[in-house]
Amino acid sequence: MADLKKDSNGQWIALSGFVISLIIIILAVMANQAVIAGYHSSNAALEFPKENIRELNLQTRDNAAIARELAYEINKTSNESIHIIYDDLFNNCSSQMRMLYAIHGENINVELVSINSTTKVSNASEIDMIKVNITYANEKTFYVAEPEIIEVNV
Amino acid sequence: MELNDRAQIHTLEGLAAAILMVITMLAITQSAMIVTPQNELSMIVHQEQISSDALTVLDIAPDTAIQYNLTECVAGWQGNESNVTSSNLETLDNELANLLPDIKYNVDLAYVKDGELNTKQVIINGAATEDAVVVRRLVTLSNSSVTSSGGAWNLTDDELMVVEVRLTSWQI
Repeated sequence: MADLKKDSNGQWIALSGFVISLIIIILAVMANQAVIAGYHSSNAALEFPKENIRELNLQTRDNAAIARELAYEINKTSNESIHIIYDDLFNNCSSQMRMLYAIHGENINVELVSINSTTKVSNASEIDMIKVNITYANEKTFYVAEPEIIEVNV
Repeated sequence: MELNDRAQIHTLEGLAAAILMVITMLAITQSAMIVTPQNELSMIVHQEQISSDALTVLDIAPDTAIQYNLTECVAGWQGNESNVTSSNLETLDNELANLLPDIKYNVDLAYVKDGELNTKQVIINGAATEDAVVVRRLVTLSNSSVTSSGGAWNLTDDELMVVEVRLTSWQI
C-alpha cells in the first residue's frame, strides 16, 4: 500500500483522458457552430428584402422613361404642358406600385420631386433628368433614397 | 545516473501528437464552409435566388438574346385565367421552363384596374408545396406595347398600367 501511494503512473493516464475529452468537446462545439452559422446566414439573407428594394428602384427608372415617351405623345393632342402630363403619369404609376407592394405588407412611396431642376418649376420642353424620393419599409427594413436622380433622356 | 535516448523518442511522440491535433482542428474548421449550406433555409435562399434571376433575365435581356421579354409576354395576355391543362401565356411558360429546369412553378398577374386590385392565374403547373418561394417583378404596360404584342388589356392611349408578375416556384 505504501508503494502505491508513491506510484504516480496513473496520474498520466487520468490527465491524458482529460485532455482527450476536452478535445472531443471542442470539436463538437465547432461542428455545432458551423450549423448555427449556416442557419443565421441563411436567415439573414431571407429577412433582408434586397430583391424587392432593387426592383422598386429599377421599376421607378423604367416608369420614368416610359412616362416620358407617353407624355410626348399625349402632348401632341393636349393643351396641358408636358410637365403636368408627365407628373400625372408618373404619380399614377407610383400609386399603382404602392398598392401592389401594400398587399405584401410593404409600404413604399415614390414621389416626383423635380423635373430638369432642383425645383419643380421648369419651363423647358424637354425632360432630361428627374429627381424622385424613394422610400421602402416593411416590418424590419427601412430604405430611403432621397433624392434618386434619374436620367430619362438616354 | 544512467544515460539513454528514451527522452528523444518521447519528444518525437509529443511532436507527432501535436501535429495530429493541429491537422484535426484544421480539417474541422475548414469543413465548416462545406457543412454550412446544408440546411433547409439555405435551400430556400438558393431557390429564391434562381427564381428571381429567371424573371430578371426575362425582363432585361436584349432582343437579340430572347425573342420576347417579360413585358412583351405579359402585354400579349388575352385576359383569360388559366387552368391546369392549358396555359394562357405559353411564350412565358416556355421561356421559364428553359430557365428553371427541374423546378415547378405557377405564375399570377396582379394589377390595379379602376382602383381595385385584380389577381389572375396565368400559368398553373400544380399545387405549390410548403417550401415554395414567391418572387415578383413589375412591368409597365402602355397601349402601344399591348397593341404591338396583340394583347387584350384594353388600355387607353393616355394610360399606363403597372403589372406584378408573381412567380411561385418549388422543387419536387
